[in-house]
Amino acid sequence: MIREVAWRLFASEYNDANLEAEGTGERPPSYIVTPLGAKVNRVFVVGVITDVENVGTDGQPMWRARVSDPTGTFHVYAGQYQPEAAATLSKLKPPVFGAIVGKSRIYSPQPGTTYTSIRPETIKAVDETVRDFWILEACRSLRKRLNAMGEAQKMDPLTKEGLVKIGVKEAIADGIVQAMNHYGRVDLSRYTAMLAEGLRYLLPEYREPIAPGEPVVEAAAPAKEEPPREPDESEAKVLEIIASLDKDGKGAPWEGILENATSKGVSKDSLEESINTLLDKGLIYEPILGRMKKI
Amino acid sequence: MKEELAPHVQDINRALGNKVSEQEIERELSSYLNVYRVSLDTAKRSIVKKHGGNPATLAMGVSKTLRELMPGEQSVNLLARIVSVNEKDVTVEGGSKRILYGILGDPTTTIPFTAWEPLSVPLAKGDVVRVQNAYTKEYRGQVQVNFGSRTAVAKEAPTALPEYKPGVGQPYVGKPTPVRVVDLREGGSNVAVTARILSVERREVEVDGAPKAVFSGVLADETGKTQFSAWKDFTLKADEVLRIEGAYVKSWRGIPQISFDERATITRLKPDLLPSSERLNVSPRMWIEDLADRGGAADVTVRGILIDLREGSGLVYRCPECRRVLRKGACRLHGEVKGEPDLRVKAVLDDGSGALTAVFDRELTEALLDKTLDICIASAKEAMSTEIVRDELADLLVAQPIEARGNVTSDDYGLMMIVETAKLLKVDVQAEAREMLEGLEGSA
Repeated sequence: MIREVAWRLFASEYNDANLEAEGTGERPPSYIVTPLGAKVNRVFVVGVITDVENVGTDGQPMWRARVSDPTGTFHVYAGQYQPEAAATLSKLKPPVFGAIVGKSRIYSPQPGTTYTSIRPETIKAVDETVRDFWILEACRSLRKRLNAMGEAQKMDPLTKEGLVKIGVKEAIADGIVQAMNHYGRVDLSRYTAMLAEGLRYLLPEYREPIAPGEPVVEAAAPAKEEPPREPDESEAKVLEIIASLDKDGKGAPWEGILENATSKGVSKDSLEESINTLLDKGLIYEPILGRMKKI
Repeated sequence: MKEELAPHVQDINRALGNKVSEQEIERELSSYLNVYRVSLDTAKRSIVKKHGGNPATLAMGVSKTLRELMPGEQSVNLLARIVSVNEKDVTVEGGSKRILYGILGDPTTTIPFTAWEPLSVPLAKGDVVRVQNAYTKEYRGQVQVNFGSRTAVAKEAPTALPEYKPGVGQPYVGKPTPVRVVDLREGGSNVAVTARILSVERREVEVDGAPKAVFSGVLADETGKTQFSAWKDFTLKADEVLRIEGAYVKSWRGIPQISFDERATITRLKPDLLPSSERLNVSPRMWIEDLADRGGAADVTVRGILIDLREGSGLVYRCPECRRVLRKGACRLHGEVKGEPDLRVKAVLDDGSGALTAVFDRELTEALLDKTLDICIASAKEAMSTEIVRDELADLLVAQPIEARGNVTSDDYGLMMIVETAKLLKVDVQAEAREMLEGLEGSA
C-alpha cells in the first residue's frame, strides 16, 4: 500500500470535476478525476478559511468550513470520524490562513448534480508565506497538467502508452485518458486563464486594487489576453467601499455598501456580481449575515 | 518445430480430457504461435479456455532461463540454484503465514523469488531445483518469481547447473548496455557506465569463509551518484574517469548499487570528460515520483511539505536491547523494559508528485525544536505526557515547506528517507511566479 500523493490543485478545477474512479487492489481507493486529468484521492490545500459553521447538531456536530483560494472555494466537512480535524475547526477564528490535508469526496444528490468536498485528515492554521508557496505549487501542478492535456488533445488515437512515450508519468497518463473519455475536449484556455490568475495573485503589481484618482501604472508585462476574472474596476471600488464602511471591525453593512456603490455609479447587479467574485477570490468574507469584511 | 510442440499438444490434450483431437490442437497451437505470434504460454492457456477447459490444469510450463522471464507469466519452468533463502512471517488476509523468500540464480542472471505455500522439499542455499508452474510478477520494475499452490519444486543434482559464486559469474554474452547512473536498476547485468570515482577504499570481507578484498566507494556521472563495489583490484583511484563495461546492479534496501569483477573491462578516460568531483559530489534534487520508480537513491535532495507527523514522533523510549521504540512501556520483542529516552520525527514528506516517510534523528529534532532531549523530558514530566513534545513538533513542522537531504530506501510500506540535513525552505515566490507568468504569456 503506497501512500497516495497529496494533490495541489485550485478549487475551480476541483469543483469542475464530476467523475469518480476506483483504483485496484484489496481495498481500492477512490478518486475524483478532474477535467485536466488529475486523479485525486488526497489533496493538500492552503487557503483562507472564511467561515466555519456547525451544520450538524450540538450532539453530533458536523463542521463545515469554506476555504477560498484565488480561483474559488473548497468545502471542508469534518464530523465525528475526523475528531482531530473537527476539534481544530471548531476552535478556529476565521478569517485565517489554513492548511488542510484531506481526502477527496464527491456527492451527487441527483443525476446531473455533483458537489465536491474535502474530508480533512489534518487542519492547521498557517501564515501567508505558506499560502503563497501553496499557490505557486498549485500553479506548477496546473501547468504540468495543461501541458500534458495539450499534448493529449493532439494525439489521435489517444493512448496511455502514447503519453508515457512522450514522458508523461503513467499515473498522470491514466487520469488524462479517463478525463478525455468522460469530459471530451475541454477548453484549455479557461484553465490557462486560471493559471495566469493564480500567478498574478502572487504579484504585488497585480494584487493591489487601484484606488481611483491614482495614476494607473501599466504592468511591466501586459497580458495579451485579458482573462475574464481579473479584479476589475468595480471590484476595486467595492473593495474600497467595504473597507471604508467597516468602522467597528464587524464588517460593512449591506445597505451602506449598496447606497455607496450606487452613488459611485456601480449598479446593484454589478455590485452583487463583484461581491460574489470577491468572496470567491477570498478578498472579502461574510462574518455575519448581511455584513462584508475585507480580509 | 512440430516435435518440440508435441509435449505441449499432449499437455493441452490432457487438460481438455482428450475431448479434442490432437491434430486439431496442433493446428490451433501452430496458428496461435505462427500467425498471431503470441507466447507459447498464452497460446496454450487460450486453447484450453476456448474448449471449455481450465488452464490451471496445464501441467507443463515453458522452460526458460531467468534472463528470459517477463513479468506476468502464468506458468514457467525453471532450472535454478538457490542463491539465498530466508523465512518471513507475513499477514495475508488477516492471518499470519510463513513464507520463504530469496534469490534464484542461473548462468544468465539472478532474480528474487517468493514461495507462498509450504514446499514438499526443504530449500537450502546452493541447492539446484527444478521448478514447474511458477508465475512471475513485476515489483518495482523488476521481475520476481512466485511459487504458488500449483507450483512443483524438486531438487536436482548440484552438478545440473554451474556453481554460483557471488562475483564470479559466467562471462557475459553480448555487448554491455550503456546506462546513466540515475537509470541504474536492481537486477541489471552487463551494463556499461562512464563515471568519475569520487572515493574508493579497500575493505576485507569474508566470502564463503575466506577473506576477500573488495574496493568500494562512490562514483558519479552528471545524473547522480552511486555506491560501487569492485571485487577485483583495478587499482582504482579517486578522481579518475572510467568506462566500466560488464558491471551488474544490486540493491541495498532499494538503493541500486553497482558491482563489477574480473568479467568487467575498465577503460581509463580523459579526466575532463566529466565535471569535477566537487561538482559531481552535490546531492541531486529529485522528485519523489522518480525515486519511487527507482526504488531509492543515495544522497538525494527532496523539496516538499511535511504534511503529517506519524505516530512515534517526538519523545520516545527505546528498548535498551534492540533499540525498538517501546509501545506502552513494552518492547515488541523483549517485553517490559526500562526504556531509554530519545527524540525523533517520523513525518510524511509530500512534494506533489509522491510521498515518503522522512525520519529525523535526535540531533536534527533537537535542532528543529531548539531544545535538548533533557529539556523535553522535563517538560513532558511537568505536563505528565509525552504528547506535549509531539504537539510542539506538529505546530512547528506540519504544512512547512522543507528541503531534506539523505538516503532514500524502500520496502513494502513505501519510500523512507533517513534525513541527513534539513532546512526550512525559503522560496522567492514572487520571482518564480513572475518567471512562470512570463513563460505563459510568451507562449500564448
